Amino acid sequence: MTATGAPLRRRLPRIPDRFAALGAVIIVIVVLASLLAPWLAPYPDDPNPLESLQPPSAAHWLGTDKVGRDVLTQILYGGRTSLFIAAAVLAVSAVVGVTLGVVAGYAGGWIRDMIMRVTDVFLAFPALLLSLALAVVLQPGVNTVVLAIAVTWWPWYTRLAASVAASISTRSYVDAARCLGVPAPLIILRHVLPNSLTPVLVQISLDAGGVILTAAALSYLGLGAQEPTAEWGLMVQQGQTLFTTNWWVVTFPGLAILVTAFAFNVLGEGLRNALDPRRAVK
Amino acid sequence: MIEVRDLRVSYGGRVVADVPELDVREGECVAIVGESGSGKTTTLLSLLGLTTDAEISGQIRVCGVDVLTAPPRRLREIRGARAALVMQSPQAALSPATRLGVLMRRALRLHGRPATEPAMAEAMEAVLLDPALLRRYPHEISGGQAQRFAIALAIALGAEVILADEPTSALDVTVQAEVVGVLRRLRAERGLALLLVSHDLALVSTIADRVLVMKDGAVVESGPAPEVLAEPSHPYTRELLEALP
Amino acid sequence: MTMLRAERVTLGYGKRPVVHDVSLDVTEGGVGLIGESGSGKTTLARAFLGLLSPMSGTIWYGDQTLKSVDMRKFRKDVQPVFQAESLDPRMRIGSSIAEALPRAARSRVGELLEQVGLDPGLAARRPHQLSGGQRQRVVIARALAVGPRLLILDEPTSALDVTVQAKILDLLAGLDTERLLITHNLAVVERLCRTSHVLFAGRVVESGPTADLLAKPAHPYTKALRDAVPKLGGPPPEARGRTEAVPAATGCPYRLRCPLSVPECEQAPPLRALESRQVACHRAEEVLLT
Repeated sequence: MTATGAPLRRRLPRIPDRFAALGAVIIVIVVLASLLAPWLAPYPDDPNPLESLQPPSAAHWLGTDKVGRDVLTQILYGGRTSLFIAAAVLAVSAVVGVTLGVVAGYAGGWIRDMIMRVTDVFLAFPALLLSLALAVVLQPGVNTVVLAIAVTWWPWYTRLAASVAASISTRSYVDAARCLGVPAPLIILRHVLPNSLTPVLVQISLDAGGVILTAAALSYLGLGAQEPTAEWGLMVQQGQTLFTTNWWVVTFPGLAILVTAFAFNVLGEGLRNALDPRRAVK
Repeated sequence: MIEVRDLRVSYGGRVVADVPELDVREGECVAIVGESGSGKTTTLLSLLGLTTDAEISGQIRVCGVDVLTAPPRRLREIRGARAALVMQSPQAALSPATRLGVLMRRALRLHGRPATEPAMAEAMEAVLLDPALLRRYPHEISGGQAQRFAIALAIALGAEVILADEPTSALDVTVQAEVVGVLRRLRAERGLALLLVSHDLALVSTIADRVLVMKDGAVVESGPAPEVLAEPSHPYTRELLEALP
Repeated sequence: MTMLRAERVTLGYGKRPVVHDVSLDVTEGGVGLIGESGSGKTTLARAFLGLLSPMSGTIWYGDQTLKSVDMRKFRKDVQPVFQAESLDPRMRIGSSIAEALPRAARSRVGELLEQVGLDPGLAARRPHQLSGGQRQRVVIARALAVGPRLLILDEPTSALDVTVQAKILDLLAGLDTERLLITHNLAVVERLCRTSHVLFAGRVVESGPTADLLAKPAHPYTKALRDAVPKLGGPPPEARGRTEAVPAATGCPYRLRCPLSVPECEQAPPLRALESRQVACHRAEEVLLT
């Protein structure tokens, strides 16, 4: 019964909390390293054919690639691209998705039905496929990647925000505002939106890793960032044929993707647990 | 059944409950009365060692087990079986995807008791519930039924004392009357001891033999219920009584 | 004088009605809507506030329907007082109250807080920094800000400690507004309402002067409610009939719970006049006598 269950549940969140803290630390390191790439990178971001395919050594900690670029330098610069893509995609998706979502959730009725039908249409396409199609039609490049992923990403935020906003809209403080004659747009802006944001923030953190992976996949397919832009997925794509002979060219950018995606995920999970009222400790 | 001496529960040096003496004998009903923040729930939880991160001093004996020094295995024996806890909203504590019958059977096995159909039906009937309800899921029963099921679970496990935290305050008055009726009957027929935590003095006056009035973590008054309620000696008890509508 | 009137109102969410064909007047001297969870009392309150349109029937405000009335004026006249939780958790107290005021009158926030017995300094706090009683006072202050004639109070004290409850009731009793009070607490109704209506399963089963209803209930449900309330030093509260029986879909909705149920109860009893009240029960005369 409750007698034995209660204390156990209260002790549990601590373990994931440590993971979340680890995730946050990794993210801070990755972001700082990327921002400070021009100062931290041991070599300039240029090809040097004389140094091509050097294994990891004291001079090149993570080795060099086919055209002789230092892999560590590339990862630092590539982080800027990957993080920019993640930030841009999530910003666009969240702004568009949440705006439509809170309107749908508050208004209900035919307005909600209409907005949700539109999101359903976008959700009906497999995300990667739609991104692929867009990337083919437009010029490949970082901006195309952002646009392509954002187009398939925002509907999730609409759904999330709509369901949260619908539940917030039934709260008595929203009814009280309606009874005071506050116009609907102001009620959404003042009451519904601010109180709906928490789960969205959690979702953004959970999604960041996914966006980086999707962007990497597009690059890997040759539809994302193009040479000479450094980007993790592009590095993996270029290094894959060399895996058996020069493993470092593909392994280290792959690890960078993995670790960053993982860090965002555990941070998101931690945030979700911390903010979930059912798991909150008094 | 319950014997408490010089109990002091504190969090980070701040005393939240200070109970010099609290005894509940077989077949007796003792009520702890107070408003939010009075420490009444903390006191109740500490009796089963369910307060986390709290510093507890004093002596607590529940069903003959010294709660503060007993090994975890001994504690599990009394928790949920010999001393059952009934909370304000039991539905939240019932796993939503499990039928009530399965829940009860598991609880019985966990405590090494025979989980036979007749035993389970008898426990249900003791709380005036139709044994057919055992086939339902928790969300398919009402709040009052869930509360009585929690009590039935305690009965099935052979509870000698029930510790109830505001067991009826989330219920409608007519349903509350029914749950209180069940508790009174079990007391009379089975000699069940009852420790009740409540904010409702009127309700307490109709069921409790003895009353402890708590305010800000301290017991301000205690004694036989009729005396305390008819001639309160502490101004706070008087204030509580006057506030009754 | 009647301020609000429900005329044969049926209310529901989606297609399922939860209030069936209810007619009642909100008159002076305080009106109580008594019922347990699921009785439809809060749904009815939402309809009176114009937050929910009736599936059928009409809500009248004076000689106009809620559909045709000037909502700006209606919102100034009729305000809700919900539970203390009806404050936006992220908003400062002052902003919550100021939301009710025109820009030029924002300075009145302090005055309003004083009117409900609070320190004007609390305006800078957020709801979680206040006690339950203080929050409930803020909710009242917000409703009073627009100068309403009628307050619709939905369980204004039921989440509060008893000593706090008593003080909030004092405050409410001292206000010079009319009130419609929605509650399950008979004692609160007794104090604040001259007239009461008892709801069961979305239907009015008994209406009349509050004092008469509580002294001599004519409906078995009113009687069950009254007898279930524990009284200080009184006998243990009594449960009459089976409380878990669901309301009957046909005939008298209370008949499956009712200890007096007879075959005749399969015919829905009409609401009829009996002494000072209206009651919907075939055996009301007998209930009155017991």
